[in-house]
Amino acid sequence: MALDQFLTALDSMLGEARACLETVDSAEALEQLRVKYTGAKNGELKSIQKMLAGIEVKDKPAAGKRFNEVRDGIEGALEQAAQRLGGSSQQESAGPAFDPTLPGLRPRLGTIHPITQSLEHLKEIMGRLGFNVTEGPEIEDPWHNFVALNIPEDHPARDPLDNFYLATAKSSDPAAQTTQPARLLRSQTSTVQIRVMETQSLPLRIISLGRVYRPDAPDATHFPMFHQMEGLWVDRNVTMAQLKSVLRLFATSYLGGDVNIRFRPSFFPFTEPSVEVDYWWNGQWIEFGGAGMVDPNVFQAVGIDPEVWSGFAFGLGVERLCMRRFGITDIRDLYRSDVRFLRQFAT
Amino acid sequence: MLISWEWLADYVTLDAPIDQVVDRWALSGLNHESTEWVEGVPVIDLEVTSNRADCLGHIGIAREAAVLYSLALKIPAVDLPTSKQSVHEVLEVENLFPEACPRYTARVIRGVKIGPSPEWFAKRLRTIGIRPINNVVDATNYVMMECGQPLHAFDLNRIASNRVVVRPAAQKENFKAIDHRSYVLDPQMVVIGDSRSALALGGVMGGSDSEVSETTVDLLIEAASFEPMAIRRTARRLKLHSPSSHRFERRIDPQGLDFASRRCCQWILQFAGGQLLDGWIDTGAEPKVSSRIPLRRSRITRVLGIEVPWERCQDILSRLGCSLETEQESLVAVPPSFRQDLTREIDLIEEIARVHGYEAIPEDAMVPMVASAARPKDTMMHTVRSIACASGFSETLNPSLIGKAAIDRISPWTVQDPLGTSVPLLEGASHLRRSLIPSLIAARLHNQSQSNRDVRLFETANVYLSQTEQLRGDQLPKEQYNFGCIAESEPRLVRGVFEEMIDRIWGQEGPELEERMVDFDFLDKGSSIAWFLQGSMIAWVGSLSRSLAQANKVDGPVALGELDLDLLLASARSVPKLRTLSPYPAILRDLNFIVDEGVLWGQILSTIEQSAGELCKEVVFREIYRDTKRDGQGKKRVLLTLTIQSDSETLKGEQADAVVSRVVSACEAQRGAKLLAG
Repeated sequence: MALDQFLTALDSMLGEARACLETVDSAEALEQLRVKYTGAKNGELKSIQKMLAGIEVKDKPAAGKRFNEVRDGIEGALEQAAQRLGGSSQQESAGPAFDPTLPGLRPRLGTIHPITQSLEHLKEIMGRLGFNVTEGPEIEDPWHNFVALNIPEDHPARDPLDNFYLATAKSSDPAAQTTQPARLLRSQTSTVQIRVMETQSLPLRIISLGRVYRPDAPDATHFPMFHQMEGLWVDRNVTMAQLKSVLRLFATSYLGGDVNIRFRPSFFPFTEPSVEVDYWWNGQWIEFGGAGMVDPNVFQAVGIDPEVWSGFAFGLGVERLCMRRFGITDIRDLYRSDVRFLRQFAT
Repeated sequence: MLISWEWLADYVTLDAPIDQVVDRWALSGLNHESTEWVEGVPVIDLEVTSNRADCLGHIGIAREAAVLYSLALKIPAVDLPTSKQSVHEVLEVENLFPEACPRYTARVIRGVKIGPSPEWFAKRLRTIGIRPINNVVDATNYVMMECGQPLHAFDLNRIASNRVVVRPAAQKENFKAIDHRSYVLDPQMVVIGDSRSALALGGVMGGSDSEVSETTVDLLIEAASFEPMAIRRTARRLKLHSPSSHRFERRIDPQGLDFASRRCCQWILQFAGGQLLDGWIDTGAEPKVSSRIPLRRSRITRVLGIEVPWERCQDILSRLGCSLETEQESLVAVPPSFRQDLTREIDLIEEIARVHGYEAIPEDAMVPMVASAARPKDTMMHTVRSIACASGFSETLNPSLIGKAAIDRISPWTVQDPLGTSVPLLEGASHLRRSLIPSLIAARLHNQSQSNRDVRLFETANVYLSQTEQLRGDQLPKEQYNFGCIAESEPRLVRGVFEEMIDRIWGQEGPELEERMVDFDFLDKGSSIAWFLQGSMIAWVGSLSRSLAQANKVDGPVALGELDLDLLLASARSVPKLRTLSPYPAILRDLNFIVDEGVLWGQILSTIEQSAGELCKEVVFREIYRDTKRDGQGKKRVLLTLTIQSDSETLKGEQADAVVSRVVSACEAQRGAKLLAG
């Protein structure tokens, strides 16, 4: 088919369509015209589009371009006619009508786990106080999990039943089995303190967050795997007054400016003096976290002179804060992966 | 530790109201759990930390109150009449196990009359939850709750040959305790026995055979020291925890034995009559004297950040029972034997701080500012999680240990066996995850059981990969931080998420990845693809194999993928950098190829990239469709768009045509592709 023949056919169709659409006076007639020109099966546009295949290759771009213009022109005229008729003949319109009360087309978005949200929140607050995030391995050796933290061999915390020690590899050589050094899933993030003090230069201000493991029968408030945040500040003249000041700033940032907190003496092997921080909530004191001045034995274990350097460490359980924050009542729900649960914490 | 407010008044006269005293205790280290009224008496539950064995009796708690309120502590005097007969005439004790029982002492009372204790005495025990038994057993319990030293009374006439042996238990020795249950012992446990059998499980519980009964007339009163480790081990092994074991595990006052033993005898003589034989049997050496601890005044300020008046420091330490040698700027303290926890200067500083009060330490000290910025890893993780969420994936966290089912054996990162723990984390879960996929499939199944449809989940966590060789020295197994995800879709969704992550984290300058079809047995054959960075796999994507899906009854398609975030992070760019855009317009050309069904997009793409030349800036996949009527069986159409652009000039149509024609010829020649006209 020759190009000019094709173009003429297009032009005449457009002219005729415009004339009809300018004068159309009912929705019914408009719908007939719509089918006539743009019907998916036998509409005139469809028929003329098929002729495109017969156009010579060199003429195709020009033919295609004009076809698109004509199609747009007819669709525009249909639109105008529809708008013109809209006011008076909406009710009689037989065509599909837009329902503005249908629910919107919402993007499908996932959600971040409430524990991750809590971890990020803690990092953000501590970051503002100058504490940098560090991390360490979850599988640890007894040196980092106990010895260097001033937890001696006979301490109950080291009981094999209170820890997840790795099962020793099966070996045909009994000698190899006994020399296989003990490894365990860390029972606290304080292990990272030791790794950081062993490798980083002083002074330092760090936090570490992550999974810890302690055998505990799961119930609404216990789970054998949970998350902790640990903080450590070592410098030449860090005092207990600074410990209290930093933890006060932290509590105020996390729990709000009107929070009532108290510092109460406690006992941890790796800090001395040790302190437990409580906050007042719903008529009672709730444990917020533990802290204390780094025990001189811990400094000595990592080769730091406690006469020159001092510091404090603090730690807290993330699940407890997270559950309180979001009103979660059963810790096990955090680890069930039910999307109906997870989607509630979209932020 | 339950404390009777009325009982406490025997040792200290407190004028302050109970609520105030309880607060002072809490703020000096004895946390308040609750206060309840029992039989008209306030009973206070205090949490005693494991270092404070001295507070496991009313006297210890009273001492704390006396120190806090600067009051006198009244310790009852014990003055006992004894008979002429010596204890050594009727009893012999041999200690064969001093490693676990460093000191064993015994007194003998003859001719007692067993009966109920006086009501006031029985009531004191009842209010703190101890059931009164008879005037002898009650006396032992009373003294334990008074000074913290556990005691035990034996019926002397049930001890064969009047000879007591402290010895290790025999392997599998049977023992019947006063709780009337039988226990099987091992040689690490201490037995108090006679020539025939075990009479008591040392430090933990007495035996039913030598129990004091209504017919008992002669008594052996035991007061001993046991090693905390041995007692803890025994109590745990037998799951037999008693008030005795609780105290011995915390190391009681080694010099308190004599007082406790005499005090107990005093009550028995008073309530049950009888005669105390002269002397006592003492198998152990006198405990060593507490060490001398120097304390520098300057050090107190250095640790606490405040100055505590020197006189106040001395007063606190001496009221706590330390004897002091004081100088202007230092002192030497010798702590009392009941404070085994005080051995170092810092221990003394803690005592001063907690009694002086933590509230005296200010909360507005200077905290100097330091430079601090988010780690690259945190920045990357923000991007990774944002992309996952924007793609409809919700984050889940799952336990690090899994079981041994077929799903749990999925292990794309290593062929090594999983690491295991000796105790399972949860029932049946004692293998450390080598991949996040087993947990994600379990999560999908859980949601399926809850009728949650079209679930998309992701997790970012470590997987644990054991090394071939055994761990040596301080070596640790490899922990790899992974992103894993599961979706009810075809794997292209997951692939797209990974492509977006890698593009965003690495930018244009990221390292070259090699794409390879892989053959993991848990994935559908031919569905899986992986990317390698210098030979190491960084990510893989695929569909769960039909057999695993059917065996686990997973509904719908299962697209899976995992990405090694450590490797991703290693090449992360810190900040995106501007690339100058070409000022000249691009020409877009759509190409529609007919190819054999077996020709992969990746093959077509590499042919185009090799043949198109520099002007071709981008090759975009549009779609694949099939028109069997026209093309016949076994053919498909691949629609794509080339972006052709120069950085130095406006391209003419002929230049673009040249690119297209090179591409078309190469695809024809290499991939048997036929260009579909127009």
